[in-house]
This record gives sequence, C-alpha cells and structure tokens, in this order.
Amino acid sequence: MTDSQGAVYDLGYVPYDGERLGRSGARRTVFWDGIRRVLGIRRKARRKVLPWALIVIAVIPAVVVVGIGFFVPGEITDAVGVAQSHANFFVLGGTVAMIFTALSAPELLVPDRREGVLSILSSRPLTSTDYLMARLASLVAIVASFLLLPQVVLYVGLAGTHPDGLFRGLVQDAGDLPKILIVTAIYVVAFVPLGFVVASLSNRKAVATIVYIALMIGLTSLAEAIVQNNVFTGGRWVALVAPINTSDAANNFVFGTENPESLLAAANIHPWYGIVALAGFGFVGIAFSVYRYRRLM
Amino acid sequence: MPPTAFTSIGLGHAYGKVAALHSLDLDVPRGRIGLVGANGAGKSTLIKTLLGIIEQTTGTATVLDMDNRRQTISIRSSVGYMPEGPCLPLDQTAADFMVYSAGTAGLPGSAARQRASDVLTLVGLAEERFRYIGDFSTGMKQRTKLAQAIVHDPELVFLDEPTAGLDPSGREEMLDLIGRLGTFGIDVVLSSHVLRDIERTCDWVVMLDEGTLLYSGHIGSTGGDGAVRVEVNGSPDSLVKQLEAADAGVTRDASRLSVTYRHGDVFDLIREAASSTDTSIRRLDDGASSLEDMFLTKGSLR
Repeated sequence: MTDSQGAVYDLGYVPYDGERLGRSGARRTVFWDGIRRVLGIRRKARRKVLPWALIVIAVIPAVVVVGIGFFVPGEITDAVGVAQSHANFFVLGGTVAMIFTALSAPELLVPDRREGVLSILSSRPLTSTDYLMARLASLVAIVASFLLLPQVVLYVGLAGTHPDGLFRGLVQDAGDLPKILIVTAIYVVAFVPLGFVVASLSNRKAVATIVYIALMIGLTSLAEAIVQNNVFTGGRWVALVAPINTSDAANNFVFGTENPESLLAAANIHPWYGIVALAGFGFVGIAFSVYRYRRLM
Repeated sequence: MPPTAFTSIGLGHAYGKVAALHSLDLDVPRGRIGLVGANGAGKSTLIKTLLGIIEQTTGTATVLDMDNRRQTISIRSSVGYMPEGPCLPLDQTAADFMVYSAGTAGLPGSAARQRASDVLTLVGLAEERFRYIGDFSTGMKQRTKLAQAIVHDPELVFLDEPTAGLDPSGREEMLDLIGRLGTFGIDVVLSSHVLRDIERTCDWVVMLDEGTLLYSGHIGSTGGDGAVRVEVNGSPDSLVKQLEAADAGVTRDASRLSVTYRHGDVFDLIREAASSTDTSIRRLDDGASSLEDMFLTKGSLR
C-alpha cells in the first residue's frame, strides 16, 4: 500500500509553440496521405481488398517463374533470357498496372472534391498546384512501385538461380536495372496522366475508373483500326495516341527484345517518337488538371 | 495602432455578373467578432475572399495585418477555417483526420498526433476518436469541423455557421465551446444568421445585407438602452396604466411597449403588472435584443 491516492489534472488547452513546416510540410502530408489512401491503410477493410489483390496478382507470376527457375535451373533464363523475361513481365504487369491506376487515381482526387475536403485544404498553407502535385507524386510513386515490385522479385529471384550464387547473379544481370527503371518511367508516363485527368473531371470513383479503362482500350482499338486499314493519308501517326501499344513498344525497344505485333512497328514509327508523344500527352494532361484545380481551390 | 483581425478597403467580389460583396470598408479589431446577415448576405464570400480562397474583384484586404493576396500562405498558416457545408472525409477516423489536418497546416508528425489527441478531447470527442466520421451524428461532425479548424493552434479562426443543423442542446454546447476559444488565445470570427448566437458569443459585430455593410462596431454600442420591450395579446391599455402608476417610463407603439424603471427590477414590475391586469404577454425582450432591432432598422434604411 502506498499513501498516494493519485490525482487527475485538467491541463486545459495547451497552446502550440513548436516548429511549423509551412508549405513543404503540408505538401508532404498530402503526399503520404495519398499513399495510405490508395493502399487502404487506416481505412475500412473493404478499402484494402482491391489494391492488395491487384498487388498479389502482379507479383504471383514473378514468384511462379522464379520458383520454376529454382526447381528447373536454366529453364527460364535459357529459354527466353533474363531481359526478355523483364520485358514480358512489363507487358503482363502493365495491364494489371493500368487497372491499378484506374482504381488509384479516382481514390486520390474524387473523395476530396465530393466530400468537400477541398474547402478545408484550400484554407491551409497550400496552393491548388501544391495539392495536385502532391497527389500526382503519390500516384506516380505507387504506380511505379507497383510496376517495380514484380521486376525486383524477378531480378533477385533469377539471380538466386545463378549456378555461382545470388551475388554473382545480381552482378551479372545488373545491366538490366537501368532499363527496368526507364521502362517503369515510360509506363508511368503512359498510364498516370490520363488517369489523373479523368479523375479530376468525374465526381464518382466508379465512373472515373470505367471511363479511364474505356479510353485506354478504346484509343488502342481506334489506333489499330486506323493504322492497319490505312484509313487516311498520314493515319499511321494515330498509332501515337495508343498509350498501351506505345509503352509496350518502348519497353521492347529499351530491352532490345522482339515485338512483331507492335503497332508502332506496323506504322513504321520509331519508338522514340512514341516516348516523346507519351511525354507530350502527359504534360498536356497534367497542365489541364492544374488549370481545372485552380478553379476549384 | 491596435492589432486588427481583418481590414478591407473597397473590397468587392462578383460571381460572374452577380455582385456578392459591394465595396466593403472594414477595420475590425481582434477579439470575438460576429458576422451577421441573412442567407446570401455575403458572409461566406467575405470569409473566402479574406482567406484568398476566392479572388476579390475590387479593393484590398488584410488579415492579421497581412495582405490577403500577397501573403496568402502566411495568412493560412496563422488562421483556421470551419466551412459551412460538408467537408469531412467519411471513411477516415476522427483521429486520423485530425492528424492529417494538423499536417496540412504544417505541423510535424509527432506534434500533429499530440495536437489531434488534445483537440479531440477539448471538443468532447476523446471517446469517439477512433470511430469513422461517416458514422458520426451531425453534432459530432460539427465538433470535428471545429476541431480541425483549431488543431494547429491558429491566432484567428473563421467559423462559418458552426451551429447549423444542431439541436438546441448541441447548439448550446457549440456556443460554449466557441466562447472558450478566446481564453485559449484564439480570436474568433463567427458567421451566423442567428443573431442570438452572435449576441451571446461576440463583442464586435459586422452586419451584412446583400453584400453591403450595414454596420461594424461594438455590440455594446448597438443601441441597448436598458429598456424592456413588451408585446401583448389584445389591448395593452390597462397594463400601461398600471406601469405608469408605478412610475415606470412607457413608450407605446400599437401593442408594443418599451418600458424603463428606475426603482427596481423592471421584469418583476412587468410580471406583477401583467398579472394584476390579467394581460397576456406575447413577447418580452431585454435591451440585448437590440441587435435584431438594429439589423432591421439598418436594413430598412438602405
């Protein structure tokens, strides 16, 4: 037994006189909130299902390939080569990444507008461009990580199957790392800006997701139809508006692998033009979003 | 010069061709400021213009002695804002949203978490802080809105219709809370169309009507003359006679009386006189209701 009876103190209101990070702190907060929001972290369980299911779907094929490599040494690397494996996984992962982008971009922009949170954010030390760029950075980071994750599993996993050990394998395939980063950047530029534009215009997440996927597939189909049927003179340049085809062609170009079905090849357009077109469309899309948000915040 | 909450010279704003603010000249000291006007009077537009959320079409303004166009970010670091409409993320817990709010105001992570906890306790949401905001009642949402406005310990907070949608007890609690902000060193601009809320909470009032300034001044100087207004059902003749017999000063306008009494409590006198003359009283107001009278008077003079 002690004599102490304990005491409850009402500390009342405690003023804050600590550090204030201002605009940079506000931008960082919006960025990290975007990452958590997309992944459903600190949200209800149902918000976590889709993003994490897509991450698993993207990684499983890489795990399977690496598993085959372990059980049947040389099966993968001898048959298609490591570079071709990375290129193939970008094509496969790219499709899943497109769906991931379709779900993530609206999650970042639509609720803040629809629930009125923008009215609070517009009273914070934050410009509309700050907010939008922080959200864009979240989307870029998360989509890039999504694309990189299976590539890292593949790179490390295949290196682990090297007869002279993991380290030897990592060194031997290290030349693929810059290519992996470049192609990741190309896919991000191909997928993110359009998703951002659509999300900045729609007030419903589901509508934004559907419109984005429809546009991505629709643009590809339209470009294929025009290029392959030679609909009008100079129509081959329409191939540049198909982001899926363009990014796939750029992927094969960077890894130096074959892609006989490439639309850019059919249109006789060098992949460099495709990369420049993607960057141009991306810039215009982001500029449009910035313009739109200047009117909202 | 004494510090000001906000000032303006010729401040105007128009939504397209519709003018919402007409050349406002204001010089409002720090303290508890009421912004009064009917719906559409321009209260929210004035707040948004001062915060740089919407651009003024004419004139200049300062908030906390900073230019609202050139020092917008500095102003926003020093003020809080509670919007009138829905502004809360429904799929976040109150605690998470408060940390986010503090972060967007520039507070570092650990300080943001501490402030979030403190402020939610202050507004009476300590128990509910881990519940999703979408599951909150209207009163709890209003408290959350207030909490996000003060989570970064601003010098001045703009509250746009903070009692909207609240039941009487919720309204009382909210006004108590707002009244306490001054003791925390936070000046308040309270926008409301309910004059009683302003009278109870503020010491300075800015009256707007259709975007035009009706009055800006101390609430104590809005004409409270110590007279009690009485409105009766039927004829007040017998009541007037009784009051005058007791040496009360009575001025009469139809069934409305204005009563002053130097020898005791005027309310006791009126109650006893009404009781003895069997007069039914419809309305009884003290001098504090002069804000409403003034609003009506000023409005009718325009």
